[in-house]
Amino acid sequence: MPQPDADPMIEVRNLQKSYGDFAVLRNVSFTVARGEKIVILGPSGSGKSTLIRCFNRIEPHDAGEIVIDGERIDQTTELTRLRCMVGMVFQNYNLFPHLSVLENCALPPRVVKKAGREAAEDLAMNFLQRVNIADQARKYPIQLSGGQQQRVAIARALCMQPSVMLFDEPTAALDPEAVSGVADIMASLSADGMTTLCVTHEMGFARRIADRIIFMDQGRILESAPPEEFFTRPRTDRARDFLSQMIRY
Amino acid sequence: MPGAPLVRIFLCVCMLLGLLAAPGARAQAPSFAAGGLTVCTNPTLPPMTFVNGSDSSDLAGVDIDVSRRLGTYWHVPVTFVSMDFVGLFPSLEAGRCGMVISGVVRQPAREVKFDAVPYQPTSLVVVARAGTAPVTSMADLSGKVLAVESGTSYAARIAQENVALAAAGRPAIEIQQYPTEDQVVQQVLIGRAFAFVSQDVELAFRQTQLNGKVSVIFQPDYPEYRNFAIYIRKDARDRAALAGAIAALHDSGQMAPILQRWRLVPGGGAQEGTAKAASGFNWRTFASALVSPAFARAAAITLAMAVLSHMTAIALAIPMAMVMNGRDGLLKSAIRAYVALFRAAPTLLQLLFVWNALPQFLPVFREAWFTPFLAAWISLSINEAAYQVEINRAALQAIDPGQALAGDALGMTRMQVYRHVIFPQALRIALPPTINEFISLIKTTSLASVISLQELLAVTQINVARTFEFTEYYAAALIYYLLIVFFFLWVQKRIERRFAWADRLKATSHAAA
Ligand SMILES: Nc1ncnc2c1ncn2[C@@H]1O[C@H](COP(=O)(O)OP(=O)(O)OP(=O)(O)O)[C@@H](O)[C@H]1O
Ligand SMILES: [Mg+2]
Repeated sequence: MPQPDADPMIEVRNLQKSYGDFAVLRNVSFTVARGEKIVILGPSGSGKSTLIRCFNRIEPHDAGEIVIDGERIDQTTELTRLRCMVGMVFQNYNLFPHLSVLENCALPPRVVKKAGREAAEDLAMNFLQRVNIADQARKYPIQLSGGQQQRVAIARALCMQPSVMLFDEPTAALDPEAVSGVADIMASLSADGMTTLCVTHEMGFARRIADRIIFMDQGRILESAPPEEFFTRPRTDRARDFLSQMIRY
Repeated sequence: MPGAPLVRIFLCVCMLLGLLAAPGARAQAPSFAAGGLTVCTNPTLPPMTFVNGSDSSDLAGVDIDVSRRLGTYWHVPVTFVSMDFVGLFPSLEAGRCGMVISGVVRQPAREVKFDAVPYQPTSLVVVARAGTAPVTSMADLSGKVLAVESGTSYAARIAQENVALAAAGRPAIEIQQYPTEDQVVQQVLIGRAFAFVSQDVELAFRQTQLNGKVSVIFQPDYPEYRNFAIYIRKDARDRAALAGAIAALHDSGQMAPILQRWRLVPGGGAQEGTAKAASGFNWRTFASALVSPAFARAAAITLAMAVLSHMTAIALAIPMAMVMNGRDGLLKSAIRAYVALFRAAPTLLQLLFVWNALPQFLPVFREAWFTPFLAAWISLSINEAAYQVEINRAALQAIDPGQALAGDALGMTRMQVYRHVIFPQALRIALPPTINEFISLIKTTSLASVISLQELLAVTQINVARTFEFTEYYAAALIYYLLIVFFFLWVQKRIERRFAWADRLKATSHAAA
């Protein structure tokens, strides 16, 4: 188990964000250790996506502090550098449909890091192998299954060689077998020291990958506990309610 | 320069000859011809002004000869600018030319704005198909169709007859207007119109082309159609100078040979530069038009104009489309107003505005660098961009916002996201309507003939006016338009092959290939 609080990867203090009058994040504080696998749970609209989008500043926060790898994230942060350090994977994969699998992965290093074409393609092949999809490199996204596409999206994000990976419901559109494939990849990432934050609605998946569960409701963190503890002995009524609803499905 | 003395001697000789030929011809040029005489003419009216041969810049006719004589008389070089009839007077007003001479009759209504100096007597004739019984008054045309050239004053004059007819309780003469003289004649030949209105001198010339297929049925004595006149901008001194010059040409015997040359006086020389109108389709005319440098050049101008204008329009429309998809603001309202204005105003009006009205506000546009090509390019680009904005906006909006989000999350800049992610996908959506717009633009370029651009349709009409072989020249033009359009449809197919990624089946066969 990684050591909490000793030189953390991410520190969040009193984070706040509103859309107009509507407060989406209210005084959120927590830390994430290096190599830790965090799963964020919570009812729909509780602010999970908004929270992780603050880490790569796709959503700028209003108040409070985010420190990633010792660096404060605010309006002065250079976005390109931040996003090289913090990768993101989306529910709908968001692959570039006009580019082949290989080009999808090689394009970002080429244009963002100015890597040569050959170097970028080598890198891309390397990560495609890592997610077990190198044999599909010449195909277009439309020719792949959902699970295959999600693995390409992960490889694409990895090509930027980030130290933190954010996953926003990466398995929501996948069948159980594909979900398990994604879980394996995430486990292997953290074995290599990657810090991951993952939003999900799938309890089995959460239980399998998480070092720690963060439970959110109405823009607040209500619980933060190891999965065993959270799933068997939730401390708040809100979490109990949430879990009982989830189990029904 | 070793050749310079020789040239000087040659010039001296020429001037001497000029002096001998025209005694007392050392006249001061009027202000409109100072430094050079620029003449606006619509060369579709033989024998006054037309193109004599397949080179559309080679003008001929009475008006051209008279202009050259005036240039010699004033010792200034003469340049001709040929354009659609509708463009003549606006161009004169805008100062694009010093004078208009184009078989235009002297007319009080026109003299309100311009000065007119008559140079050649004429008279109005009503012409019908050969064998039609002559009529004895205009009133006899009651209820019949009469074809006239648009932009001329004939229609207004005949409308006065209609007032009289209405007062007498009789049906009006039905007036149909066509843009060129040859089309007017055509209406009678094909039987759509009962008769057409023309000037006697033109008819005399036409008769040889038409093999006597038409004849004069009435010669109304309208005093306002008794003279052809040269028009200049209002200036009493210039007017006097021009009248003096014309009188001098008459007095020194220089007018008579011109009129003889074009058979406007009895016993004139042989008819020049006309082809017999053959019955049926003349394949040789068609084939030689097709391969003629004049047509090839005109087609190249049409093509270049359409390609350049559309590329400029797309370049203008992309940033505008990006603003239109963004937040509301002043810029967005301005673009919305621009799009509304340029879609509402007729393209023809926009062309005439840029060519003729702009120089009145900004004199720099009167200078030689502002060519008809440049003017047409500017107006067609701005006009086309108004349509292209909507195509580009819709295409950009159709791209899933998740694409830009993914680009952002990968550290790409806004510009990189547009260039590598959004534009390539938007192109696929925008291509078919853009090619559609382009094909319609190819045909819109023909409007630029009003500002004297020698594009395909202008050259076609000039050749029809010269020979009257309209079917052959129309067919040749059609072939060129078809070639251009089919070429671009082929290009579209080629480009669309690269969009296999959007279609599962095609992508598979593409990957297999
Ligand atoms: N751009 C926006 N403008 C206004 N409100 C927004 C915007 N984005 C999100 N919200 C609101 O903020 C709240 C939190 O949204 P968020 O997407 O973070 O929720 P979530 O926990 O990820 O929910 P889900 O599980 O459904 O994905 C929601 O009530 C949402 O309606
Ligand atoms: Mg969400």
